[in-house]
Amino acid sequence: MTASMVMDPHPSVLHMDEKVHKGVELVMDHRYRNIPVVDDNGRYQGVFGVNCLLRMVLPKAVLVERGLTTVPFVADTLHDLYVRLKAVEDEPITYCMSYDASVVAPDTPLVETLLILYRTRTSVPVVDPESGLLVGMISYWDVYGKILEQQI
Amino acid sequence: MHHSANTMTVFGWDPIWFAGVLFILTYLIILSDRINRAIVALMSASLMIVGGVLTQEAALRGVDFNTLGLLTGMMVIVAITRRTGVFQFLAVWSAKKVNADPWGILVTLVLVTAILSAILDNVTTVLLIAPVTLLIADALRITPYPFLFAEIFASNVGGAATLIGDPPNIMIGSAVDLSFNDFLFNLGPPALIILLVILIPFYLIWGRKLNANPEDRQRVLNYNEREAITDPRLLWQSFFVLTLVLIGFIAGHNHGLMPASVAMSGAALLLLLDNLPRKADDQSRSVHATFAEVEWVTIFFFLGLFIIVHGVESTGLLTMFADHILQWTGGDTLITAMAILWGSAIASALVDNIPFVAASIPLIKSMAATFGGPEGLMPLWWSLALGSCLGGNGSLIGASANVIVAGFAERSGHPISFLGFMLGAFPLMLLSILISSIYIYLRYLS
Repeated sequence: MTASMVMDPHPSVLHMDEKVHKGVELVMDHRYRNIPVVDDNGRYQGVFGVNCLLRMVLPKAVLVERGLTTVPFVADTLHDLYVRLKAVEDEPITYCMSYDASVVAPDTPLVETLLILYRTRTSVPVVDPESGLLVGMISYWDVYGKILEQQI
Repeated sequence: MHHSANTMTVFGWDPIWFAGVLFILTYLIILSDRINRAIVALMSASLMIVGGVLTQEAALRGVDFNTLGLLTGMMVIVAITRRTGVFQFLAVWSAKKVNADPWGILVTLVLVTAILSAILDNVTTVLLIAPVTLLIADALRITPYPFLFAEIFASNVGGAATLIGDPPNIMIGSAVDLSFNDFLFNLGPPALIILLVILIPFYLIWGRKLNANPEDRQRVLNYNEREAITDPRLLWQSFFVLTLVLIGFIAGHNHGLMPASVAMSGAALLLLLDNLPRKADDQSRSVHATFAEVEWVTIFFFLGLFIIVHGVESTGLLTMFADHILQWTGGDTLITAMAILWGSAIASALVDNIPFVAASIPLIKSMAATFGGPEGLMPLWWSLALGSCLGGNGSLIGASANVIVAGFAERSGHPISFLGFMLGAFPLMLLSILISSIYIYLRYLS
């Protein structure tokens, strides 16, 4: 058993030239954790997901590596967060996408795939290692659906 | 001259040549930044012993355990204290005290940074103040550059004021047996003058242009600084121990209590207070986490450096070099003090000031006979301390605090360029050295 057997071969995707608001709509409408981002040729580039959504509305200073570990004194309101989101919603999707998300190959063994899924706690793109093409996406639900099917 | 060196090193090389070449190579590799400085120092220290310049016993005699103990003890105290959130509290509290006015915030953050750098260490201070500064500048929607620039200056100037503020002072104080009070009374006044004078160019360059709209200022005023205190009990314990440690630094010297003993006693007491309520397992984890925050790279770097410098010193090479300097200055105290002050400032702006000071200490010590004994060297020690601490302001790589602030600035999307910083900072550093020169002349040499 390999990753290709539990993946969704037709996932929603975002393109590099699409705007942040498009990504926000997709995530919110479908409750996606991660949406793969591809170039014009369908080659995998990275992911846009719930982490990006949070990152865009948090003050930049709290996200700086080795920076503040807690900020209980900050009293920003929902409106402040909305203002931050509006300020970047017309930026290209590349503004906030992650380039270093974990991926698996179509022939990654099933248990290895599950372990990556378990450790990353999000959906995992399936990428052909030779062509770099996105060939699918694996979510908890895809995998668990396949597992439960075995009962029948 | 301490001729503890063997007469011949491996392969029959002359010890002076062997130690001299090793010393220069070590400093060049440290300068190149290609290999971690602790590794370089430990490798070279090992070669000093394996190569036959020093025996193991002689090498250990060269290690200044007072400096290492003081550094380690203070690092432990700071590692525990920082968990209380007091640094964030002070930064937010000071910003609100000036009604979130940008220029007022710059001035108060300069003062907070300078004071904390003087009583703790400047690296930790900027490590904790710079992120809050970025947060405040973000809320005010203004560039953080003037604040970060000013904090770099404040940390190095504040650090210059006390024995424990900056590693060069710790090394000089330990080598010459100078007390906390000696540093405070001799370097505190120029540090305060420089801090106040430097605010004038800051105001002329940035102060008049720093504006924020009322809505954004209100966002900062809405911060609740009391929420920053994450552990009030630990805060009071830390405050209690820090007060004891400061009293120990101030009063202990007259009773034969060395700074390392004071810092280590404080560290032990704070560790005890922090861990007493915990279960055994939790204590192990907590103590391990605290010790993990000690900058072991710095400690081992110092360890290796002391051995390397002792190795070179033992061959008599540094005494020969000191004789050349004295020939050049004619043995005149004023010329020698100014040469040390300006030379160490320029050098510290361009290279790490710790190895520079480590090599300078035995060099200056060997000049004692020319200047009428150890007392005659005092203007030279203050010149070295001021030059090496303040010189760090001259460039982005001049001091560890600068590098840390630059790192934060870059990661937050507001990079500070090396040249841009130097164009502003180097002249201001020279101004601080000019003030120091006048101070040294008026107080010790006129």
